[in-house]
Amino acid sequence: MEPLINIKNLNLYYSSFQALKNVNFTIPEKAITAFIGPSGCGKSTLLRTLNRMNDMIIGTRIEGQLLIGGTDIYSNEVDVETLRKKVGMVFQQPNPFPKSIYDNVAYGPRLHGITNKKQLDEIVETSLKKAALWNEVKDHLKRSALSISGGQQQRLCIARALAVEPDILLMDEATSALDPISTLKIEELVQELKDNYTIVMVTHNMHQAARVSNQTVFFLNGEVIEYSETEMLFSNPSDKRTEDYISGRFG
Amino acid sequence: MNIFEDANRKQIAGRRRMDFILHILFVIATSIGVIALCALIIDILVDGVARLNPDLFNNFPSRKADGSGMKSAIVGSIYMLLIMAPISFIFGVGAAIYLEEYAGKNRLTRLIQLNISTLAGVPSIVYGILGLAIFVRLFALERSLIAGALTMTLLVLPIIIVSAQEAIRAVPRSRRDASFALGATKWQTVSRSVLPSSMPGILTGVILAMSRAIGETAPLVMIGALTYVAFLPSSLKDSFTVIPIQVYNWLSKSKAEFHELAASGIIVLLVLLLLMNLSAILLRNKYQKKGL
Repeated sequence: MEPLINIKNLNLYYSSFQALKNVNFTIPEKAITAFIGPSGCGKSTLLRTLNRMNDMIIGTRIEGQLLIGGTDIYSNEVDVETLRKKVGMVFQQPNPFPKSIYDNVAYGPRLHGITNKKQLDEIVETSLKKAALWNEVKDHLKRSALSISGGQQQRLCIARALAVEPDILLMDEATSALDPISTLKIEELVQELKDNYTIVMVTHNMHQAARVSNQTVFFLNGEVIEYSETEMLFSNPSDKRTEDYISGRFG
Repeated sequence: MNIFEDANRKQIAGRRRMDFILHILFVIATSIGVIALCALIIDILVDGVARLNPDLFNNFPSRKADGSGMKSAIVGSIYMLLIMAPISFIFGVGAAIYLEEYAGKNRLTRLIQLNISTLAGVPSIVYGILGLAIFVRLFALERSLIAGALTMTLLVLPIIIVSAQEAIRAVPRSRRDASFALGATKWQTVSRSVLPSSMPGILTGVILAMSRAIGETAPLVMIGALTYVAFLPSSLKDSFTVIPIQVYNWLSKSKAEFHELAASGIIVLLVLLLLMNLSAILLRNKYQKKGL
């Protein structure tokens, strides 16, 4: 598998606090990569550098390179609006807009200039189908997105992210606010999506990383301790700290 | 064994007594406001109800109390509202958007913020002096409807800015994140996500600020609206009067009939205020229920 994302000597500071320390690794295309590690280890921070959501936090400073498809996303060649269209994100808490289901999915395409009703209808339908939500909501697309269940809301957020045709999908603990059945549905969905999208997920849940991902990256105090195939990392970790973490000795 | 025997029942009785006394005190504290309002309304109704007839709405003020009306004042108040509402909405909400969404969180912003909060508490007469200096004299607008409306705009702007800021701040961070993460610019996020979510709060603030302006007298007295107006303003540069000034005018006369007219003027003003507050409440409820 070709690496799509290439992180080179990345350091990130929040004012004087260094949140990421000399991070180096690559993320392969059309596969699921999981970031694991205890709270405050920098895994979410790294995820949010991939679509530059950290730009909005005052005092953030970045050193090093972050290449996606060979282009440094922090260079002048990349507009942040385009980057975020190509690199979608799903958050920890389902955060649909207080609008109809239809308008939630159409929000992104409309931002990027699509106004044709027929075209929007099509995008809404295919996105909801990709997110495995179409059958549940197709008869009431005009209903408020807040009226559906939490698990459905999260799949709606996935559909909303897919509607702008991203290549990469970032998931920031996207199932941690959901019940086990909804979580399972999202995990199955992610498995299907990886054929067409590169997925990077942050998870607190080691079992989830082991179940779902192809590659796993273990973070500790802003450093990448270990990065390998998921099966390898969980069955035969090369670093003592990884072993301690996955066997539940801390974290 | 009786598990209740070591209870100090005397001490508990004391605690309960304190609870009861405070309960009564709180009821009294609440009643004072309500009783004052009721007394005011009853007093005014007794005085003014007899004068609440078509004459009041159809006639201009006159030297004789009988048949004297407040047509020019009612129309003046409504015109002023119609000019003031859009101007203060645009500038007030614009400033709130700037301060909440665009301005950096630095010392300058905090200074501006402090200024605006202070301005919201400045006595209204001061705005009258400002309006007199700027609009009446400097811009040579004379004692006109537009000068009055602009002065009132200055008066309500800080209130609108502060309440609009609160409404904008109440929109959860996660909704902005969702919009930015889809590739939205700041204005796209503000116009498509933040403003629709905060509009009920903003409109409530605007309406409450408007109802404050409708009842204000001092700044308009200052810029010279205290005139006997026996015609309707036909342009922005015409002189004008408003309901509270008409009431003040009638109250300053010695004849009791005029005091009755003043009371009926107050009733009209109270009904107008009540309608505005009611529309603010309805607006809020409508959006809360819909959740859209």
